[in-house]
Amino acid sequence: MYQSESLIRNHYNNINEWLEKMTAKVINEKNAEAETHFRNIGITFSTNSETARERIIPFDLIPRIFTFSEWSKLEKGVIQRAKALNAFLADIYNQGEIIKANIIPKELIFKKKSYEVSMFGFTPPRSIYSPIVGIDLVRTNHNEYFVLEDNCRTPSGVSYMLENREIMMRMFPDLFHTNRVTPIDDYPTRLLQTLMSLAPIKCNTSEPVCVLLSPGPLNSAYYEHSFLSDQMGIEMVESTDLFVEGEFLYMKTVDGPKKVDVVYRRIDDDFLDPLCFNPNSVIGIPGIMDVYRTGGVNICSAPGAGIADDKAIYIFVPEMIKFYLGEQPILENVQTWSCDKDDDLNYVLDNLSDLVVKEVDGSGGYGMLIGPKSSKSSIEEFRRKLSANPRGYIAQPLLDLSFSPTLIKNQVEGRRVDLRPFCLMGENAQLSSGGLTRVAMNEGSFVVNSSQGGGVKDTWVLAE
Amino acid sequence: MLSRTAEYLYWISRYMERAETNARLLDVGYRMSLFPNPNGYNNEWESVLAAAGAIQGYKNKYNIIEQKKVEDYLFFDEDNPSSVFNCILNARSNALVVRTSFTPESWLAINKTYQEILKLKNNNFNASDLPNLTEWTIEQVNLFRGSLSSLLRNDGYNFLYLGLFVERADNSARLLDVKYFVLLPKPQYIGGNIDNMQWSILLRSLSSFNAFRWAYDGNVTSTKIADFLVLNSNCPRSLSFCIQNIVKHLTNLTCSPEKVNKIYNTLKDLNTKIQEEKIESIVDFGLHEFVTQFINKISSVDSDIQKEFFN
Repeated sequence: MYQSESLIRNHYNNINEWLEKMTAKVINEKNAEAETHFRNIGITFSTNSETARERIIPFDLIPRIFTFSEWSKLEKGVIQRAKALNAFLADIYNQGEIIKANIIPKELIFKKKSYEVSMFGFTPPRSIYSPIVGIDLVRTNHNEYFVLEDNCRTPSGVSYMLENREIMMRMFPDLFHTNRVTPIDDYPTRLLQTLMSLAPIKCNTSEPVCVLLSPGPLNSAYYEHSFLSDQMGIEMVESTDLFVEGEFLYMKTVDGPKKVDVVYRRIDDDFLDPLCFNPNSVIGIPGIMDVYRTGGVNICSAPGAGIADDKAIYIFVPEMIKFYLGEQPILENVQTWSCDKDDDLNYVLDNLSDLVVKEVDGSGGYGMLIGPKSSKSSIEEFRRKLSANPRGYIAQPLLDLSFSPTLIKNQVEGRRVDLRPFCLMGENAQLSSGGLTRVAMNEGSFVVNSSQGGGVKDTWVLAE
Repeated sequence: MLSRTAEYLYWISRYMERAETNARLLDVGYRMSLFPNPNGYNNEWESVLAAAGAIQGYKNKYNIIEQKKVEDYLFFDEDNPSSVFNCILNARSNALVVRTSFTPESWLAINKTYQEILKLKNNNFNASDLPNLTEWTIEQVNLFRGSLSSLLRNDGYNFLYLGLFVERADNSARLLDVKYFVLLPKPQYIGGNIDNMQWSILLRSLSSFNAFRWAYDGNVTSTKIADFLVLNSNCPRSLSFCIQNIVKHLTNLTCSPEKVNKIYNTLKDLNTKIQEEKIESIVDFGLHEFVTQFINKISSVDSDIQKEFFN
């Protein structure tokens, strides 16, 4: 929010005045109201911790604001990236032009667990592998945005984007009278349209039946699964509700079997089909992959889409944009050293105390080293892990993430934030007018993941 | 509608109804404990446990029957599958799965109840808090039932109400079974202290204490009470009312007419009989036998519904 020490960025002026008028008492009341609301609607998540049954994510009352022009640039950049990632998937599961052109080494792709051999030679409807792409962005102090990572499988968090807005509108209607905030509540409708536009070849109706496939109530994003299916008016199914007969997929209803055309799956590849993937999976649907490959059903995202958000592939996304779209990348990558190259590895080992090192297959902020914040002994411990398996790691500089004003014990303090907007790829490519802003609630922290003390904020895009 | 969704909806209202029944039974036991009783104080707690179908479980855990333990067992005990706490826990975890077939209000009603009972369980409560707990439970269940009025009148709605009335039919009948001797004909009007207590237990636990007075003129007789609780279709907890509503919500289902018919055919006779029968001839036949038959019939309807629609 602050341009320098004392200068407030223009578009935060309204919010600043509003904050100055709020007493500590009101802030406390509103915080309690928000917490009660989130508990009541059940927007909770389970962590790896054994102690708490359900936790809610801390919610910060101060919205994060984007001007129209700031957002327009992001929008173009994210859509460009989502297109390139889908083009990449279509390419590597078919001709493999990008490999032939020597842009990406083939062993980086074909040796990955997330590369799904059974997808080779098959192209899903509209050539869309990843219909919902979540791009994690950070801003540095110079008003530049960088892409931190791509999420092409089943990015979560959109329910927070929607519910954060709901609670803000409910608690502070006046703010929305005085600020022209672009609405986001049509996201579920757009998501459904996107899914319906991706009906499989054998579907002969103009209104395909879509379902959301959830692993069940123990999944940490279960609230989001039920929220989204409710908002879209589609069934939330578990794999036991589905079965394959002949060329099609059906769900078990009180009326008997009902054909399903599009599965928005929120389960991992491994658990989709025990006949094709993990034979020990108890939550898969035997035979669904055959139905999929013969055009009886569409699975969104496509099995094997995860290779596109692999951290080792991330390095090549700017090249992909040039290669497939013939465009210059609008959003830049964070400089990344890939430890499987000897030069890079040596640099990383020499500079461990200045770098952030992440596992290629890791997520949730676990298993990473933040050099400048770590003790000598944990750096040395990490050095051993890294040397033993260089291919498993990448390294990045510690970014000077932008701060966003955040209420900490009733005082406004700067906390680091990132942003995940959601890009829909179907008949049209479109970006949500907002996203999920995650905030590192602990002073000095760089980790925004909810599993490690991160919070969330409402994210505003101001209308033109 | 997914079969699993139908099943979960059915069970949500069964659990909520059962929570209310248990709370009412506890309230009755509590009232009785305030009156002098020549047979000792514990008898009523035993029949409360029996009516709740919890006597075996209780005896496995405790050697003696005493108020505080019974209250705890029926309200908070996680070892008792039918405790109010477990009913609400189960209703809530089912609701989590089917909230898409609910209105947001119905979900809120159940989830708020769950949030509050977690807090209640952590507070150490006193025996004297029981009336508050009972009142709270009934209020929460009413909130849930009220929220159903905004539901789409589709099969989900009918499965919810099927669950409610199957559970209620079973609960009412079990209560009658435990107390049927109160309703056997007596040479004189009911008047003695013991009798008074017994029939007021029955009526109160079926939330019909005041209603009975309005429904029947003149003296209180065991026959009138039996008529009210078994055959009177104005009484929302009578066996007759429950079975009528099971039939109604069963035949309102739009899915699978052949399955609906199959179950309806097994119910038809009982439904006709209960509408046409006089209480005197039921008593002649044997009230206990009648109620036992009724319980068996409801239990077979329950397993038919589960088999036909949920599997």
